[in-house]
Amino acid sequence: MSGIVDFLFWVFAVAAVVTGWLVFRTDSMVRAAYWLMASFVAVGAILVTLDAQFLGLILILMMAGEMTIMAIFMVMYMMNPAGLNPMTMVHQHRTAAVAGAGAFVALALVGLLADFPDRPAPSGTDPTVDLGVELLGESMLVFESAGVALLAVMIGAIALVSKRGRYGDADEGSEEPILEKTE
Amino acid sequence: MSLDALLVVAAALFGAGVYGALSQQSFVMIMMGLELMLNATILAVVAFWWGSTGGNPEGQLLAIVVMAVMAIEAAIGFALVTNVYRVRKADITEKLRRLRG
Amino acid sequence: MSPAWAVALVGVLLMVSVYLVAVMETIFGLRVSGVRGYGRAWALPMSRAALLLSQRRSVTERPDAQAWALAPALLGGLGAVALTAIPLAAGVEVADVDAGIVLFGAALVQVMVAVFLHGWAANSLFPVLGAFRMAALALSVSIPFSLVVITTALPAESLSVGLIISSQESLWNVVRQPLGLPIYLITGLGFSFWAPLQLPDARDLSGGTSAEVSGAALLVWRVARASILVAVAAMGAAAFLGGYLGPWLPGWLWMAVKTFGLLAILVWSGHRIARPRMETAVKLGWTVLLPLALVDVFVSGALTL
Repeated sequence: MSGIVDFLFWVFAVAAVVTGWLVFRTDSMVRAAYWLMASFVAVGAILVTLDAQFLGLILILMMAGEMTIMAIFMVMYMMNPAGLNPMTMVHQHRTAAVAGAGAFVALALVGLLADFPDRPAPSGTDPTVDLGVELLGESMLVFESAGVALLAVMIGAIALVSKRGRYGDADEGSEEPILEKTE
Repeated sequence: MSLDALLVVAAALFGAGVYGALSQQSFVMIMMGLELMLNATILAVVAFWWGSTGGNPEGQLLAIVVMAVMAIEAAIGFALVTNVYRVRKADITEKLRRLRG
Repeated sequence: MSPAWAVALVGVLLMVSVYLVAVMETIFGLRVSGVRGYGRAWALPMSRAALLLSQRRSVTERPDAQAWALAPALLGGLGAVALTAIPLAAGVEVADVDAGIVLFGAALVQVMVAVFLHGWAANSLFPVLGAFRMAALALSVSIPFSLVVITTALPAESLSVGLIISSQESLWNVVRQPLGLPIYLITGLGFSFWAPLQLPDARDLSGGTSAEVSGAALLVWRVARASILVAVAAMGAAAFLGGYLGPWLPGWLWMAVKTFGLLAILVWSGHRIARPRMETAVKLGWTVLLPLALVDVFVSGALTL
């Protein structure tokens, strides 16, 4: 059994890294967003193999919506709306590559060389139950703070972007008339 | 599957995220780099929870906090991108040389 | 259940139920058009499928071919994954997942990705409009959907679908949480983009995301879409109608009766209720269903305490 789990772990690990890399190697905006989602799904699957079933599945659940929104925002705001045409939109490429490689090497060295305590999670407990009890028991404050932060962010984001349509609600003629000369 | 392997995978994801966040011009692509880094963080946190804390539920809690951070980053990021586009008609970082309104 | 058996079982179940959905669709379609005699309803779906299989595939200019091929397969796969989370009879669980209801939710939310890719990859106007519609529709129904689904876990005090079913031994969730099932069915229609919420593939967009698809690809897309509807109905039966629980009849038969009852309601509504405008659908999700779903959570939570 653990042989299969090991094998699956490596499949998902390679998939997560490769798809994460492809995000920045593709020409299509929608592909970029969904490669990133594939990377998240692979990490979610790794979490499931680590017995953190709830966290893994909730990660997959969260990412579908977020990555679709990302794709739409890219289509909305990028200068190449066709999206299927070849394009490269990078700057300081060499610096970025060095920084990325440096971050990888440094973090991997920390991971490999540092002496972390070896205390694996005991089998036989249900991590989902543990998490639920922790969230709504001891760590209620953390949970509440996260909730309040999210609420504040929702209000802030709406305040930043909301606008009314021509005739009242946003869906009533939301296209605003062009009053200023466009460049 | 070991803690070392998990951490190396997380480091690789983080490195790809750093590369993306620094090299991309489009705001949304930069956000993708940030998300990839947070993805690596979640993986590393859960890896530590699994291999190093003896199943302490607070490890999972930290992963939930990182997910909340991810949602916050996305919401504020998209709102800012929208606003910057409306005000400056800018979609890439090069068009935002001045931070003054 | 061994993986080979699980794959075979889910595959056969999906095939049979999708065929029955097509038959229901035909029967209700004949009914609204006033045609008598439903004998043909059993053969019509088959002849339509045969027609599609014999058609040529249409090709657009420079599509994203891989994504276009992936989308129907992904959609059908998601229907199958969602179905694995649901126990079909007492002890017959395809995948015994502790957080089964989250697995179901995760699979259904990914439907949005499959449909978006399907519309985007065609590299054509109407499909991409359909893709944007799917994003708006799915995002506005996904939160009420998740809320009512997760509320059924409150009385069970577990995320496992098996325990959710056994918690309904004394009282079904449809009685305990009267707001749950209607919201679930409406949002479920949205997720499977089935009429009347077929906005991403609607006629006013000449077929939306499948406007440029023909032949076998269209058949696969329709079958995959119906498989999502089947998964939605099966989970509705399990989470709200007590799944395989029931007197006299064997458990699997109860499960089938409840699932196809819900499927009949869903398919019937497609022929009786007009398709809303996109704005109306989005408004319905955010300003009506979401607050009602929150009421459902609070009331059910208070009752569970």
